[in-house]
Amino acid sequence: MSAGHHLDTRSVDSLVDDRVAEGYFSVHRDVFRDPEIFELEMKHIFEGTWVFVGMECQVPGPHDFFTTWIGRQPVVVSRAKDGTLHCFVNSCRHRGATVCHLERGNTKFHVCQYHGWAYDSAGRNISIKDDAKAGYTEAFGREDHGLAAVPRFGSYRGFLFASLNPEVLPLEEHLGDARKFIDLVADQGPDGVELLPGRHSYTFNANWKLQIENCIDAYHLTSTHPSYIDIVNRRKKGESANKMDSVDFDLYKNDQAVRGSFCFEHGYNVLWGANPAFRARPLFQALDELNARVGELRARWMLSMRNLTLFPNAQFAENASLQLRILRPISVDKTEMTTWCVAPKGESAAARRLRIRQYEDFFNASGLATPDDSMTFEDCQTGYQSRLVGWQQGYMRGLGLLEQGGNKYSEEMGVSPTTSVCGPFDVQDETIFHSIYREWLRLLGAAR
Amino acid sequence: MNAAEALAAGLALIHREARLLDTQAWDEWLALYADDCVYWVPAWDGEHRLTDNPDTEISLIYYEGRAGLEDRIWRIRSGKSVASTPMPRTVHVVGGVELLDAKTLTLELCASWTTHVYRVKRKEHQVHCGRYEYTLKRPDADSEWKIGRKKVTLVNDTVPTMVDIYCL
Repeated sequence: MSAGHHLDTRSVDSLVDDRVAEGYFSVHRDVFRDPEIFELEMKHIFEGTWVFVGMECQVPGPHDFFTTWIGRQPVVVSRAKDGTLHCFVNSCRHRGATVCHLERGNTKFHVCQYHGWAYDSAGRNISIKDDAKAGYTEAFGREDHGLAAVPRFGSYRGFLFASLNPEVLPLEEHLGDARKFIDLVADQGPDGVELLPGRHSYTFNANWKLQIENCIDAYHLTSTHPSYIDIVNRRKKGESANKMDSVDFDLYKNDQAVRGSFCFEHGYNVLWGANPAFRARPLFQALDELNARVGELRARWMLSMRNLTLFPNAQFAENASLQLRILRPISVDKTEMTTWCVAPKGESAAARRLRIRQYEDFFNASGLATPDDSMTFEDCQTGYQSRLVGWQQGYMRGLGLLEQGGNKYSEEMGVSPTTSVCGPFDVQDETIFHSIYREWLRLLGAAR
Repeated sequence: MNAAEALAAGLALIHREARLLDTQAWDEWLALYADDCVYWVPAWDGEHRLTDNPDTEISLIYYEGRAGLEDRIWRIRSGKSVASTPMPRTVHVVGGVELLDAKTLTLELCASWTTHVYRVKRKEHQVHCGRYEYTLKRPDADSEWKIGRKKVTLVNDTVPTMVDIYCL
């Protein structure tokens, strides 16, 4: 890589001040605002480790495909005729045009419309237009003309991950105990889960890590979303004529309701909390089935509030309804989000309708909560233009309560976190972010 | 009521709605809607298809009843939503209003729309555009028309940061 002036004079190590033993952790604002850091992140994080690309349920049948991005690179996920799944770069081997122009679809052949080279649904080249009399040489014939396969591609229970870097751990080893929290999503229906039609995309003018932090930031709820909390209270009291069964975040401010965070290796983490309003969850309507199938303990965890980070680019937010968010960094100060509502397959019509209404109420650029988050990210990015201030003070709540390893809650879930915090509502832990920046530093270490 | 009178009535209401949104005359705006109105902004399901069943597919906004719109106005007025404070300035430009059906108690119209949104805080100009479908209704021939159903298609659905009822 071409190191710029920053990295000539200091390494990325100097941007994360990890002195937890001394009761201190901070992140330097350059990680959010420096375009050179962004280039390193694309190369060493988004194109250097396992990233989440989508769900098997998006490609249920032969020749189904969807398109997405791994870092800066356009890719296709496709199910071949024989049912096998493939992930290849969406770029013709001839002159580079994308061969797949839709976000999803079904086709036996991907034909480049520039010069007509054609590929099957496994990404193999099946035709080079007019090649017989072209005067091609033997050297050309020795080339592999197939679409470039992404070096590592795997599924964990239908959750698809890919890595442009072949030198990564086996997927399940990489996911570690975060798998148990993926399971809590995957097992919500007897036949698994699905993504509901109607994905949504939006952008915000801020660094991608603001979104990653926000999803697992318990502290912002009451100050960023008071208008949403008040609207729910108005509905409860009958001051609003809206009768919808809303997610009652006010009940979260209950010291009897334990909340906490678990950090795992590789930037994975989960913010969790007992949900005092669990009866309003659509999933609650299937409680008997859930208890019988997964046991009462896991059913209780499924009904709890859980926001799971699949670093670096995906999060499952299970507070109102259940949302999958995939982020795509566009530049150091612009990010594109694509979101889906996740639901158990075969859910009752009443539960499905409630799930959708709760989802629309809270999420998306059109909801009553997400716009306040996205706007705040932009306010942060503006604030980062101040060079007078370098170090953030946003990574130390909960530090005095931090436990190395797990606690009784991780034991009941059968997971071994690297660190954990639990306590009443007011803790609003920030040590959960440490896992992100440790992984960030580990991956960017390749740049040193 | 002949077709010209019906179109004139529809045009008047559609233009009035645009003005009330742009001047943030929220109570008058809400009063355009029937209590049991449907307000619907479907999501796109891929490049070519809009979601069409709000009970099984995601919409960007779907309300059965004016109360959902009232919640949004309450939020805008609360001063507690950072996305709505300071309020962006908007200009709706509505064109191509077409009368599709006219009965004594219902009118069906469609139109195309553009909303210019000036985000004051960031000094940025955004443009949203799409199509409207309106069903206007009245309980009897002497009552004023209310919006019984409004469906908003948002064409440029990769939304910059946020979108709310005053952007549509």
